[in-house]
Order: sequence, then structure tokens, then C-alpha cells
Amino acid sequence: MEPKTKNCRGVAVCLIVSMLLVVWFVPRCFAVDAVEANGAIGQAERDLGSAYVVVGEAESAGANVSVLLNRLGSAGDFLSEAYVALRAGEYGNASSLAAECSHSVAGIAGDAARLKADAERARSDRLLFTAGGSGVGLVLLLVFGFFGWRFLKRWYSRRVLDMKPEMEGTR
Amino acid sequence: MNFENVKLVYVFSCVALCLVILSPTLASVVTFPEGEKFSELWVLGPNRMAEGYPFNVSAGEVYKVYLGVGNHMGDLGYYRVYVKFRNQSEPLPNSTAGVPSSLEPVFEYNVFLRNNETWERELSFSFEGVSFEGNVSRVSKVLVDGYAVDVDKIAVWDETNNVFYYQLFFELWIYNATVSGFQFHDRWVGFWLNMSRQL
Repeated sequence: MEPKTKNCRGVAVCLIVSMLLVVWFVPRCFAVDAVEANGAIGQAERDLGSAYVVVGEAESAGANVSVLLNRLGSAGDFLSEAYVALRAGEYGNASSLAAECSHSVAGIAGDAARLKADAERARSDRLLFTAGGSGVGLVLLLVFGFFGWRFLKRWYSRRVLDMKPEMEGTR
Repeated sequence: MNFENVKLVYVFSCVALCLVILSPTLASVVTFPEGEKFSELWVLGPNRMAEGYPFNVSAGEVYKVYLGVGNHMGDLGYYRVYVKFRNQSEPLPNSTAGVPSSLEPVFEYNVFLRNNETWERELSFSFEGVSFEGNVSRVSKVLVDGYAVDVDKIAVWDETNNVFYYQLFFELWIYNATVSGFQFHDRWVGFWLNMSRQL
């Protein structure tokens, strides 16, 4: 009976020790250090910067970028929090917040490019419409101007011809 | 009115009408000169007025101010406002030379603004780990919007004004797409604080 109990106790001790080792080692294996956190923040900075550039281009083209700006704003908040965590030495937290920032702006370039293309198309349509309108207006002005001039010339000549010369002393 | 004058009036009327008809097309093709490009940075007191800024502060109390940024640069702007904390002897930014303060920020705000848009938000701050020893006071932690940052600043008693001077100030930086980074935008604001013992 006794060797069995001893065996069981040995197994239990082994299990506890190995569990403690796992608990101690695993977080250290997956821990994020300052270099990694800095790298993640640097990447987030670059992602946010390039997202801003494409949104800016879409905005300059006349697109409504309100939704994209909200996304940029929330990504910016994540980045601020990532810096706070980095300064506090919470590298894991800083890294995940930076990743959250990068994730928030993922796909923004495609959306901005689509909005930009739509805005440019709408702009060229508008330009075409106004240029067409102006062209039609100019033709009308030319036609009416020509007839108007003829009418004016005739009216003026008639007015001059209808004038009766007044002789002095006839009053 | 003689015939030559009538002709002149008619030609001028036609030219004016022509310009009116062409104006929508010209407006979308011709770019007009823009006004002055600038950005704004301001800080307001707790009542959203340029008065009543916190001055006598102590540990554990929460103080609030309003921080604002305005964009008049002509297009979408990406701003960063660095919140910095200093004692009387530490460097301030130099707007004339375009040099920011070399101090590490305690917090930063990332702001995206369209042209002629403004951003304003409430900023709360407090202090932790404040101690006094003789003519020296020490601040270990500053909390901005609830985020704690270790600062470990020491201020020496100012005998002339009977205060322990500290300053909370804000620097405006702007993203430059050409260099893919932020540049100091030559603007900063701040206010003085007197660290006092808790009553």
C-alpha cells in the first residue's frame, strides 16, 4: 500500500511543479518586450499616416469622407493609448493597442480610393454639364445677338427716319 | 444717343452676358487665390472661457480645462497635440526658432480636421505621489484623462512668489506627408501651476 501512496505523491508533486513551470514560462515566452512594442507602434504610425494621405486625397477630390475620418479618429485614440501603455512599461498592452490602431485603418485606402474615383467622376460629369450648358448658352446668345442687332439697327434707322426736321420760325 | 453709342452699349451687354453664361464653367476650372493658411491651438478654463485656469493644485484633486485645435490650412489636416509637464527650469518650446521642448510628452491627442473645422475637448488632469521636503516639492505621477504617467519632477520653492512652480503646456505638431512624419507647428499654449499641500 505504502509504495503506491508514495508513487501517487510523487506524481502529484511532479504535476504541480510542471504546472508551476508552465505558468512561469509560458507568459515569458509570449511576453512582448519594448523593442516589439516600439515596432508595433511604429507600424501603426505608418499605417495611420498613409491612411491619412489617401483620405486627404479623396477629400481634395471632393468626396464626403466623414465616415473615414471617424475611423481615423478612433485609430488615433488607439495610438494615443498605445503610447501611454508604452510609457507605463506595459509593452503587451501597447503592442495590442497599436495593432488595434493598424486594424482600424486597414482597408481605408480602398474605401478612400473608391470615394475619390466617385467624386472625380461626379466632378467631371458636373464640369461636362456646366460646359455644355455654357456652350448652349453662348450659341443662343450668338443667335439672339445677331437677330437682336438686326432688330436694333432697323428700329434705330426707323426712328431716325421718322424724325421730322423742325424748321426755325415754324412755331 | 447716336448710333455708335448704341453699338457700344450693345457689344458691352453681349460681353457681360457672355461672362455670366460662362461663369459656372470658369468657376470650376479657374483656381482662385486662397487666403492665409494657419492653425489654431487654444486652452480654456473649466468654464470654457479664457479665465479661471487651475493654479493652486494638490494631489488627488481632478482639474479640467478645454483644449482646442482649428484647421485653416486649406485641406485635411492631421494634428498631434503633445501634453507636456515641466518645472520652472526645464525647457519650453521656442516658437520663433521653431524648436519644440525636448521634454517627453505625458500624453498626446491625434486629431484629424477638415479645412475650417475645429476640435475641442475637455482634458482632466490630476497628480499623484506629491511630496514636500524643505524647499523642494516632488511630483511622481501625472494623470491625463485618467491615464497615469510617471514624471518624477522636482520644483524648488520660489521665494519671490511663494510657490512651487510647475507648468502644463501643449505643443501643436502637424503631419507632413512629404517626410511621412510629424513636425512642430510652432504653436504652443500652457498655464502655470502651484503645487500646494493638501488641506
